[in-house]
Amino acid sequence: MKTLNRREFLQLGGITAAMTALAACRPLAEGAAAPTQVSGEIAPLEYDGEWLLQRTLQRISFAPTPDEVAHAREIGIDNFIDEQLAPDSLDDSHMEAILAPYSTLQAEPAELIDSEQPYMPLAELTAATLLRGIYSRRQLYEMVVDFWSNHFNIYFRKGIVRAFKTADDRHVIRPHVLGKLQDLLLASAKSPAMLIYLDNAQSTADRPNENYARELLELHTLGVNGGYTQFDVQEMARAFTGWGISRLRGRRGQPGEFYFDDQNHDSGEKLILGATIPANGGIGEGEQIIAMLAEHPSTAEFISYKLAQRFVADEPPTSIVSAAAATFSASRGDIALTLGTILHSEEFKASLGTKLKRPLEVFLSALRSTGATLAEISTRGSGRNGNRRGGRAALADHLSLMGQPLFLWETPDGYPDYAAAWASTNGTLARWNYALAVAYDQGRSVSVDWAALAGDATDNTQALDALTQRLLGGRLPDEAQAIILNFVGAAPLETSLPAMGALILSSPFFQYR
Amino acid sequence: MSTQLSRKEFLSAAAKSAVCLCTPLDVGRLLPSMAFFAPPGQEPRGDILIAVFQRGGMDGLNAVIPQGEIEYYRQRPTLAVAESNGGKASAIDLDGFFGLHPSLGAFKNIWDAGELAIVHASGSPDPTHSHFDAMDYMERGTPGEKSLSSGWLARHLQTTDWDNDSPFRAVGIGAMLQSSLRGPVSATAMQSIAQFHLGGDNQSAELAQFQATLGELYGTGSLLDATGQLTLGATSTLEQVIQSNYQPSHGAGYPDSAFGQGLLQIAQLIKAEVGLEVATIDIGGWDTHAQQGALEGDMPNLLQDLADSLAAFYTDLGSYTQRVTIVTMSEFGRRLQENGAGGTDHGHGNVMFLMGGGLNGGKVYGDWPGLAADALYGPGDLAITTDYRDVLAEIVQKRLANEHVAEVFPGYSDMNVLGLARG
Repeated sequence: MKTLNRREFLQLGGITAAMTALAACRPLAEGAAAPTQVSGEIAPLEYDGEWLLQRTLQRISFAPTPDEVAHAREIGIDNFIDEQLAPDSLDDSHMEAILAPYSTLQAEPAELIDSEQPYMPLAELTAATLLRGIYSRRQLYEMVVDFWSNHFNIYFRKGIVRAFKTADDRHVIRPHVLGKLQDLLLASAKSPAMLIYLDNAQSTADRPNENYARELLELHTLGVNGGYTQFDVQEMARAFTGWGISRLRGRRGQPGEFYFDDQNHDSGEKLILGATIPANGGIGEGEQIIAMLAEHPSTAEFISYKLAQRFVADEPPTSIVSAAAATFSASRGDIALTLGTILHSEEFKASLGTKLKRPLEVFLSALRSTGATLAEISTRGSGRNGNRRGGRAALADHLSLMGQPLFLWETPDGYPDYAAAWASTNGTLARWNYALAVAYDQGRSVSVDWAALAGDATDNTQALDALTQRLLGGRLPDEAQAIILNFVGAAPLETSLPAMGALILSSPFFQYR
Repeated sequence: MSTQLSRKEFLSAAAKSAVCLCTPLDVGRLLPSMAFFAPPGQEPRGDILIAVFQRGGMDGLNAVIPQGEIEYYRQRPTLAVAESNGGKASAIDLDGFFGLHPSLGAFKNIWDAGELAIVHASGSPDPTHSHFDAMDYMERGTPGEKSLSSGWLARHLQTTDWDNDSPFRAVGIGAMLQSSLRGPVSATAMQSIAQFHLGGDNQSAELAQFQATLGELYGTGSLLDATGQLTLGATSTLEQVIQSNYQPSHGAGYPDSAFGQGLLQIAQLIKAEVGLEVATIDIGGWDTHAQQGALEGDMPNLLQDLADSLAAFYTDLGSYTQRVTIVTMSEFGRRLQENGAGGTDHGHGNVMFLMGGGLNGGKVYGDWPGLAADALYGPGDLAITTDYRDVLAEIVQKRLANEHVAEVFPGYSDMNVLGLARG
């Protein structure tokens, strides 16, 4: 891994680079009880008949817009959930213009390998992911994209992966996130980015490399307690030898595509998870294994657990994990149906408001709920990290400071999803600084029209009500209201609004969904 | 209390680089009691511990080379480091059998001074080759068991015979707190002192009041309250104690790496005497499955960073080294036989490095099991003859002045004292 220079480490402008090394491997108790947690027993917002609707919207989107709230009221929250589970039915054509400036999004890896701006793909994929989170109508879809990106984590900065990960996002993740798990698994197994990241592209019959085989079992399908052995790992590594990339190491084809190399494939018979894979099965062996893993009952449990952890609670109740696993198995791995079981459940409803937001959710919910306007894209130029001289790109630094720079988690397990990992002093301070930035930036990166959010309010008390309704979907408890009103005192709206906004965004109440 | 806010004074350019806030805070409003230094009679009786975790599984066999082992050279035709011959392309001899990888040259002086100890063929006895499980077990201090949710360092801090209210009693360098510090003790996660404050350039009284209001909001019954209060306490302490232009002492030159700069933060905290007892820091990238490099490449670069950074830190500390113990660990070692990609797969036995003025250094500890085929563990790994808990328990007891090792490492009673520390 590359080392960083002092300038990069100390300057906020280079903080993304610093985060790379500092966010090194986080241990995660896969499939077992997570460590000591900060659970969400916060003082709830006052129930005003809309609590279930508002909190559900906050859980299945990065934050609801007034239009979405109105639409959900009109059709009912259950129908709204189902609508979001069928994202193709939602018109998202406005995203085309928003994403148009980011040309590497559509580039082929072959074009990016020798690029003179090797840091551009990461900067643009990060920008695109954030912009989709802010502006897409397919909010749940974008949340599920984030989920699977993490599940099939690929570290953007491992060597030449930087030329391939964008294609992985485009061809592997995004088309398959609400479809069948088997399709997603197969696409990932053939993804050049994944083959490089987990070293399978260099795995040969003479010397097989176990890295991908192990993570396919441990992290992608069965889970660490799913019932496989070291022998299974070794046999699977044999099966996936030859799964490589064209034009790397003298292979034929267009550069940078999946290429099955029979010469490097170990064609002998294999025994995996009790099943015999006959000799000379070629590429079919790996495909057969993928099908087997997708159907394995441990996979149903493990995937359901992770989805429930994301959408219900750090330690999801066994009942909902089982229910989701049953749907998963019955539907042969249909992710949308499995998620539907979770989102319509009583366990889901009971958990609302108690899941700590990760930095990505803090970042996006602050921008969506305030209706913030982003500054222009910063001017491109030289500079190791794709230029951080102002413009909207500077805002993403806060995401790094909070601890979740996109695509920069080094190890295959992806960012952790339990509160104890995120409720740190460093993370808390960064959230407060982000709140101040959003409230007071005045257009360098972002601007908020606080007066518009306050609507008809004529004094600070009314203004605070309007803001909390917009930012939190309800009223604050009396004690918290008094604290904030005490701070702003008799200050005029012009100065009190951003201050109240900053306090709300910094408060414990904004940290949960 | 009413406040007239001046817009000009309050506005914050939060994205600009950091300057230390100098506005004094009414700290008493935020925390019931806080000692910057441990009060007399409650001062920690032991060393400051620096626990370094090498993430990914360091290849111990190429870090501390068993020069006398023919199997080492047989099984690593391209990766083996040559036996010491005085040249730069060979190991640095330590004791006639073991040699240091040349990229670890910065350790040699400390070794010669008797303040660097090495434990080879050490590690966690659990057979797992999963990074995540292995790290998890190692940091919990209960290999094979996940029922305890606390980390070994948290349990150490919990069981000491003294109290220490400092918000910097335990510090994890990085964005997220290391698992070894998770538990019923306060621990501060931070990346750098320079950026660890609220509000960018803003130094106004209004920001101070904003900060105080945050203190009130994080006192209304949320389970984030404790973290909020700790954060505010930590920023206050830093404001009042740390200078913004720190210069390392004794000519220490820290590498520009994240690890080097992280150790620099710890050095500042130590010298500021804010009550630091335990610091944890990671150095990642050790999972060298492919093209790890023998004398040049990824692995030698990592070793260089490790040794140069720790040596600079050690130099910078000067006489503080008499009250500091550093220990390194990694979740597992790597296989004896190199693989087909010029790298190594996950293994078992590994190397731990220890540095400090209270050590019986200049020695490689542990029973060397050898590399003959029948001495290897599992699919061809270096065996473990010293449980890592033996090493840590001796440090906890002799250097950290904590007798309660049975609570720090529950379920482990077969402790073997190596004699690597005085106390």
